[in-house]
Amino acid sequence: MADVQTTSQAILVVGGGMSGITAALEAAEAGYDVVLVERNPYLGGRVTQLYQYFPKLCPPNCGLEINFRRMRQNPKVRFFTMAEVASISGREGDYDVTVKMAPRYVNEKCTCCGKCAEACEAEIDNPFNYGMDKIKAAYLPHEFAFPMRYILDPSIVGTDQGKKCLDACEYGAIDPDMKETTFDLKVGAIVWAAGWNPYDAAKIDYYGFGEYKNVITNVMMERMAAPNGPTGGRILRPSDKKEPKNIAFIQCAGSRDENHLPYCSGICCLASLKQTTYVRERKPDCDIAIFFIDIRALDRLEDFYVKVQADPKVAFIKSKIANITEDEGTGNLILEGENTRTGEQILMNFDMVVLATGMVPNRIELDAAPDVTHDEYGFFTNNPEQPGIYGAGCVRTPTDVASSVQDATAGALKAIQSIARR
Amino acid sequence: MENKVNYDPSFAEEVFRNVDAGDEIKMCMNCGVCAGSCPLREHMDYPPRQIFALIRAGKREEVLGSQSIMLCTSCYTCAVKCPRSIPVIDVMHGLAHYALKQGYVPRKDTAAFGGEFWKQVYRLGRIDEKDLPRRVFFSGGLIEGVRAMLNFMDIGIKLMLHRRMKLLPERKIKGIQSLRKMLDKAERLGKGGAIA
Amino acid sequence: MDKKTAVYICTGCGIGDALNIEQLKEEGTADFGIDVIKDHPFLCGQEGVDLIKQDIEGEGVNTVVIAACSHRVNYDAFNFGRDVIVQRVNLREQVAWSQAPKEEDTQMLAQDNLKMGCSQAKDTDWVQPYKAEEPYSKDILVVGGGLAGMTAALEAAKAGYRAVIVEKEDKLGGFLGRMKSTVTLPYKALSETGAAQLIQKVEDEPKIKVYTSASVEKVSGGPGLFSVDIKANGNSATERIGAIVQATGWVPYDANKLGHLGYGKFKDVVTNVEMEEMAAAGKITRPSDGGDVKNVLFIQCAGSRDPEHLPYCSSVCCMVSMKQATYVKEQNPEAVNYILYKDVRTVGQSEDFYRKAQNDGNVFIRGAATQLGEAGGKLFVEADDELLGEKIKIEDLDMVVLAVGMVPASRPETTPRIKAPADAAGADENGMIEVAPDSGFFANSALHLAYRQGPELPTLKYGFPDSHFICFPYETRRTGIYTAGCLRRPMETAKAIEDAVGAAMKAIQCTEATAEGKAVHPRAGDMTFPEFNMQRCTQCKRCTEECPFGAINEDEKGNPLPNPTRCRRCGVCMGACPERIISFKNYSVGMIGNMIKSVHVPEEDEEKPRVICLICENDALPALDMAGIKRMKWSPYIRFVPMRCLGSMNLVWIADSLSRGIDGILLFGCRHGDDYQCHFVKGSELANTRLGKVSETLDRLALESDRVRFEEVGITDYHRIPGIIEEFMKKIEEVGPNPYKGW
Repeated sequence: MADVQTTSQAILVVGGGMSGITAALEAAEAGYDVVLVERNPYLGGRVTQLYQYFPKLCPPNCGLEINFRRMRQNPKVRFFTMAEVASISGREGDYDVTVKMAPRYVNEKCTCCGKCAEACEAEIDNPFNYGMDKIKAAYLPHEFAFPMRYILDPSIVGTDQGKKCLDACEYGAIDPDMKETTFDLKVGAIVWAAGWNPYDAAKIDYYGFGEYKNVITNVMMERMAAPNGPTGGRILRPSDKKEPKNIAFIQCAGSRDENHLPYCSGICCLASLKQTTYVRERKPDCDIAIFFIDIRALDRLEDFYVKVQADPKVAFIKSKIANITEDEGTGNLILEGENTRTGEQILMNFDMVVLATGMVPNRIELDAAPDVTHDEYGFFTNNPEQPGIYGAGCVRTPTDVASSVQDATAGALKAIQSIARR
Repeated sequence: MENKVNYDPSFAEEVFRNVDAGDEIKMCMNCGVCAGSCPLREHMDYPPRQIFALIRAGKREEVLGSQSIMLCTSCYTCAVKCPRSIPVIDVMHGLAHYALKQGYVPRKDTAAFGGEFWKQVYRLGRIDEKDLPRRVFFSGGLIEGVRAMLNFMDIGIKLMLHRRMKLLPERKIKGIQSLRKMLDKAERLGKGGAIA
Repeated sequence: MDKKTAVYICTGCGIGDALNIEQLKEEGTADFGIDVIKDHPFLCGQEGVDLIKQDIEGEGVNTVVIAACSHRVNYDAFNFGRDVIVQRVNLREQVAWSQAPKEEDTQMLAQDNLKMGCSQAKDTDWVQPYKAEEPYSKDILVVGGGLAGMTAALEAAKAGYRAVIVEKEDKLGGFLGRMKSTVTLPYKALSETGAAQLIQKVEDEPKIKVYTSASVEKVSGGPGLFSVDIKANGNSATERIGAIVQATGWVPYDANKLGHLGYGKFKDVVTNVEMEEMAAAGKITRPSDGGDVKNVLFIQCAGSRDPEHLPYCSSVCCMVSMKQATYVKEQNPEAVNYILYKDVRTVGQSEDFYRKAQNDGNVFIRGAATQLGEAGGKLFVEADDELLGEKIKIEDLDMVVLAVGMVPASRPETTPRIKAPADAAGADENGMIEVAPDSGFFANSALHLAYRQGPELPTLKYGFPDSHFICFPYETRRTGIYTAGCLRRPMETAKAIEDAVGAAMKAIQCTEATAEGKAVHPRAGDMTFPEFNMQRCTQCKRCTEECPFGAINEDEKGNPLPNPTRCRRCGVCMGACPERIISFKNYSVGMIGNMIKSVHVPEEDEEKPRVICLICENDALPALDMAGIKRMKWSPYIRFVPMRCLGSMNLVWIADSLSRGIDGILLFGCRHGDDYQCHFVKGSELANTRLGKVSETLDRLALESDRVRFEEVGITDYHRIPGIIEEFMKKIEEVGPNPYKGW
């Protein structure tokens, strides 16, 4: 992999999610050389794990597929999966970057025939489904994975299971001797689009996530609704795999909270509104309650809010839920709070609770990196004193797909300017 | 004008100026987590959020005459959960303090509870969970006392079964004299406090 | 160049086990003059690829048919440069993995697939990119000289491109120039607008030419070749332009429609825009008597989030009111601001400004105003205070500020009526017709496009001129014209800046791609373009009307005038043309027709029906691949023919298929309607509309309408595909064999 020749005329994009892909493609389609590095074994980032986008309720793969096609036919973009930036030095127009690549144990000969997975008996928690199900330790990360190539979990490399995979492959694609490698890049500008992580809901201890099985997070709900998810697209409560008769969505689970994330994560209202439609589509008689402080459906997304409000089975209750306890016998959840519109106490019983957890940005944390600035919450701030490295997407502000694309397109031009200035 | 509350910002100003941590309630965004988590909410006429809303509207009588501000037991549940880091307990105590200064006499049962609580802590250095309610219940006379005792009988039995309430009377703590000195001083310093 | 075609069949991944390869080589390639036919057990491996390379170098093979897996896997293995035509045939996902091995039906399917591939390769020509005779311009025209417009021009200049700004006012600045302060990152306090410095920078930038008091009179041509007539201060100028950024901003919602909130009735009821201008001018005073202001009430969502007015949320008004409350307090620290809101919408880090506004002592009341009146020279407002649970009255107000929303400048206040086209239905007695929002006639004039489909950008709901606002927010339906700022959606200044930078990026990219003869999104990089055989044109105007991007103009006789640099290469024109005169080098009516003809139609007594499925290659085809990868099974009687967009489907294919004895036609396309997913906006909808006309064909042939069906298949609908096919095959069985078999 050390055959990556770049010059200070190239742009490095860190992160292969919606923002990173966009930044890379927009720059490449204007004629610039781009190298994209992505930590996951596939491109697409968080949106690949979403079932549908709001407000059109359309599959993220639809847009991603177009982007992947743009990438397939454009030799100006080179990308590396399972790759992370290890260090950055230099300045605008002249950066030296070291990239570290984790071994995939499957090489470019893989035809995706799936024989290794057939042979492999070992299973691991499926990272794509947030560990809600198991997957063979030789696996395709997900069916739309781009690049389409299997991967071996390190836990079976060098074991009998790994040997079985090796023997099953007719094409010499399994390579247990792969090691972590590093390579160096010379680039003129960097777009930091490393994305976000869901806030760790277990930190909101009074909601019992991790302790009560039927308390899940919004990102888990996305996987559950997806036909290729852990439940085959059925919404089932984890404790007994039964269809819930009623579901509570708790907004601002961690967000707008000085004890957790003081900022608003921007997308969780719409995400929950959207998820009510998942429930409705599958179970017309399921009751839904959304507990909120403010519903933040900006611009035309308001229409979507209005649409969900028209659903008589969805109740909007203005309350930050104060406590959840589990009914041990049934696994049901008892929610306590104050209905601030009526002043009445809330003591309600739900089969399942979805926590609308917020976004935590992935900041630059490298031992060696030029001065970059983050705000007090860890969001990347574009520093006019330090041109050359530009944040794009959710590393700058918690936001939705459209705004990430917009921001990443802008990031591409800033990077081009850094090169043009030289 | 019928049944309409006239907004009056002067009371909020009064609270901001005179009540400990009173200006912190400006930060309230009415999420209701304090009201939802308060263990005494069933006994409160207005849980904390509603107190704040009343202050915002300028309803002086309702706030200073409220028993809620006297009931706060400083359990801190609301304060640790408040997403705007409002020191709800300080505000509630501050309001209670201010209400007393302004001549608002706590309602009888609240005062009875406070008074008995204080006496018992002074005497034993701790609370006797059987003795305190008994004294509070009977403070209104024999018949009311018996009725209250019957009302709480189920809870009492459950507490005993779960060994949360001892059958035997509580003893004085070690070093009760030192505690009493502290309490004496506290009373001198906070003359006019919530439990005086 | 003479074709020398080679066919390579991969026998790996179960293909060799499922099929009789020797028979396939023979029967699947006959009639196509194939020069080299080989198979290999691992074609995408180094040895397999080298085998092909040897034939290219040694044998002079210049057209390669790869019969193997889906192009999704190892897509880059079979790239032999632009001089070698590569045609993929799917034998793995669509045959070996989804059909019973070693069955006659499976073998016939593979043979048909290979024959279709060979036929397509035969009809594919080498691509020559379009090159205009005139030189291409890479200059960017920016219409609108506000924050977004100035930013777009400056950012383009910083990347080395020239820009031209056309501003209708006599000076640059737009609304930014009329503001006192802004609220922006990090949202802790007010910031200076920076308008003067920004204007200075623009004026000092030698790469930017500014026209003020100016308007765009006419835009003709296309990307790289735009000719823009500008009128400025009475003078006319013409600029040659590569791409356009429209940043014509917004107008406040007309507060005269908000009489119920006292606007127009009480002088001290003002809009947030009037408040801002008053603050910027120096001092906020009571409009009625010029008196000092102490108590102010802001009514949020005045006309916004209201089905009777603006149904959407304007995103910025919460912050604007908090900002203006700060002005009031700065002027008089004793002042009291009441903010009457529905929801406080300060997303992201701007929540900090909400906290600041609270900390400043502003009174936030959640509820709706029910009554507004005057008493003793002061205003009062009655409202439902949701969180107090009571009706309230706030008196002694010096001013009430209505936080009105933003209307994109493209959208007129009323639905315009224009002279109805000759064949239009719904015209009134004066021959006038109401214009649909997406027609391009709906918008307020800004661009004056000399386009057959209307002078402005077509819009979606509420007048925002975009087309794919989730995944591809910059895409409009006019190639090379991008929008930025509040024209695109209501947004705060920080976002407008970002947005303008992005729009400049898209504009620059468009000029670069166009100069190389490449298409822009979504077929970015495609060098093919439609060619018109004008001798046979009947001036039916279907192509000029149906092009989703308004690429084709018309002369006065009704002849199409294509503009290749405006073209997105979807092929909708090709599908629309009844005379089949529109072709791409590698995609034409004849080519697809020949592919369908190469499908063998068994005799009726063989009881092997044949169905042709015309399938959108962007979404439904990947879904089909997925179904194969998941080893789902479906009927071996169906033949899939990929379409660039289902909108390129030509009815002649259906007619020809049915008259050859094909039993049924399935169309797999994207969802259409309000939440359309078609990457070419209108393609799948047009295909569906055309299908409505297929009944004439069916009637003529005396065939049942059940034989043709449109199905919406999204990219993740792979699990539905076998069921759809099975159900359709059942229907075909019920209807019985096509009587035209063997004709």
